[in-house]
Amino acid sequence: MTTDSTSTRRSFLKGGAVLAAPLAAALPAAVMADEGLKARLARMEDEAAIRELHQTWLRQINTGASDATTSLYTRPEGAMFNQAVRGIATDHSGQPDAIELAADGNSAAGRFDCAVETAAEIAQDCTVAQMARAQGGGFVRRTERRVLKIEYAKVAGVWVIEKVEFALA
Amino acid sequence: MPGTPYPNKQMHRIAYTKLSERQIADKLGTVAVSGPTSVSPISDVFAGKSLRIVTDKGPALSYTFGRDNRLSLVENGGSAVDAGCGALTLNSVVFFSHLIPGTQRGYAVVVDQDTNLATVFELWFSGYQDNREVQREIYYGYVEQPGQQPPATRHVTTNRVEGKGFYWKQDNGAETLEFYPSAAYSHFVELSRLGGELGFCGPSDYIKINDDAFIYTRTECEFSGIFTAYVMDLNRVEQIGMRLGFDASDKLEYYVFRGKGEWLGQLAQFEKFGDESGAPVPAAAAGQTPAKGARRVYRPFLTMPKMSKAEVDAACAKKTAVFAPASGPGAMMGANRGPGTGWLAGKGLTLRYDNAPAMEYRFDDAETLNWRKEGDNSWTKARYQAWESMPGVILFGHLLEGVPNHDGHSIVADFHQGLVTCFNGYLNTPYFANEAGVKTLFGVIEMEGLIPPKYNRHHFTDEMVGRAVSQNYAPGLTSMHLYSTPHSLSWIIFTDTDAGGLEWSGPAAYVKIRDGLYFLYWLEEACNGTLGTVLVNLHTMRDVGVGYHCGAEGLSMSAVGAHERLAGRFDVLRFYQVKA
Repeated sequence: MTTDSTSTRRSFLKGGAVLAAPLAAALPAAVMADEGLKARLARMEDEAAIRELHQTWLRQINTGASDATTSLYTRPEGAMFNQAVRGIATDHSGQPDAIELAADGNSAAGRFDCAVETAAEIAQDCTVAQMARAQGGGFVRRTERRVLKIEYAKVAGVWVIEKVEFALA
Repeated sequence: MPGTPYPNKQMHRIAYTKLSERQIADKLGTVAVSGPTSVSPISDVFAGKSLRIVTDKGPALSYTFGRDNRLSLVENGGSAVDAGCGALTLNSVVFFSHLIPGTQRGYAVVVDQDTNLATVFELWFSGYQDNREVQREIYYGYVEQPGQQPPATRHVTTNRVEGKGFYWKQDNGAETLEFYPSAAYSHFVELSRLGGELGFCGPSDYIKINDDAFIYTRTECEFSGIFTAYVMDLNRVEQIGMRLGFDASDKLEYYVFRGKGEWLGQLAQFEKFGDESGAPVPAAAAGQTPAKGARRVYRPFLTMPKMSKAEVDAACAKKTAVFAPASGPGAMMGANRGPGTGWLAGKGLTLRYDNAPAMEYRFDDAETLNWRKEGDNSWTKARYQAWESMPGVILFGHLLEGVPNHDGHSIVADFHQGLVTCFNGYLNTPYFANEAGVKTLFGVIEMEGLIPPKYNRHHFTDEMVGRAVSQNYAPGLTSMHLYSTPHSLSWIIFTDTDAGGLEWSGPAAYVKIRDGLYFLYWLEEACNGTLGTVLVNLHTMRDVGVGYHCGAEGLSMSAVGAHERLAGRFDVLRFYQVKA
């Protein structure tokens, strides 16, 4: 992880409430005193819902059930972010996961350092590629460090994914 | 005058009879009762004994062996069936086979008497759309020993045979060269049956009995469908096994054999160190349960487009692509071809072939040339690309627009020697019009300031025969050539774990350009129809060349180029020498 990416993250987190992992950590008593108990509870519920959504999405991507992720998006076409992605693993050498809730509580942004495994299909226009596909291969597989940036929206009280972006780490 | 050793038609050109189930049943009937034939004396190792073989995911087989090659079999506690059988032994290993009268099924069984482990091959006909293709399912198990616990281990699939090659001579006189450059396929040259001109491939199983002894199988899919299985002792270079199936004239072959051989060498393996796993190609797609006997079989003849001359003419008129952009169709095969050369730009020359009309060229720039046959008045403009593989040696290719057979020339010109060799690809060949044919043209370069030789020419060579060279065309696109005979080569496709996977082969020829520099072609006959030509530079371990292909999408000439690795060499030249 480079210094540049760290500074980018700080820029990304500016403004709004910051809920950084470990999210279960207790907030200082002074902050609790400043916020009403209901607002605090709502934020914790939103945070938990987004985290669960993220885990569901990851599970579906990593088990090859990316088609099933359609229901997790605001728009079905949003799920077509990158069909070459075959797996996403947490980059434990990167920055902690971060979820930023908007002030109005209707949108959020997540930032996750990760290792992305992609499998790009090789065009079937030569014998070698055709034979590779016939034996279950025919893909160019790569694993690269990326910053997964996800925008979330709360629609009818349910958190869904608005946009997914894999940025260079 | 004795006849030649060559067949009327090579294996890939035979129109094998589509035998019906009834025809197969009729042919099996008598043999199932009598059992397989054998030149060597049949072993009576099990005579008078009873064996119960228990398999993990398959049948329990209770055998009672009589005299005179008879046995009685009870499958899974059913009714007893009498059959003829043939058994042979190799040290502690017993191999026996039999059919089941009244069915199209049978078994080949390997028992290691030292460990009581057994591997069972269930064999059957009429299990694929081509009834004659023998199907097999493999079961691993053991011979039950009263009062003893079942053994914890089993024979296992392995890659420990991968890379080996042997000459085998069976007791019936059949001589073959058999190469195992893949852990899922094998390549074989029929020396005595077919004269050894070409090698062919078939899906194969490799199973470890112990460090010396391994089981090998081969099914001649896309050909006669004959099944061969044997146990081989790698140190003693001996084999015992069987052959079952219908030959090209539909005659049933069912015999057990004993053979001796010679070790030919060992090719490199490319799996990670420590990986000795076998069966690298999954039998079914991820998440699917394979059907009984299922495995991945490359069936190029079944799947290739087969076009008429009219269809070829129409396809060529519809689209002709010559060295399409780097991101276009076929681009992956040329990803590692290296930088091109513009040395020919602005030059004019004549390639004077000994056995074809001379070709005159004017090169406008690095990608545009004008050609005409000597004596013609008009020039034809064509797109070309060129690479300087070794100083002074340039490979370039172009199509000959307007000629009746849609010819394409892949040319290697050595400007230090004044010599040229052209692989002249063409279409409208006898079997399928879209299947490329090739003529090899030798000659000299005539151009200002260059005096060509009068007698010297490039020439065909066997210096590459026996070698294996891997090619990495692009990330994820890796294969290996095995130059198995002077007239054919085989290509092996690596799996994601870099094990040898699917394999096929075709006619080929090799021309020596310089020491360490060879110009070769292969024809994907009965398999896509492509003509592949590459200039292999053993100094830089890079090949560059030209692919020439016609399909429903049109005619194309595209760049081919790869980073290479030497994978070893088999000692096979002596088998191809004509002896007095």
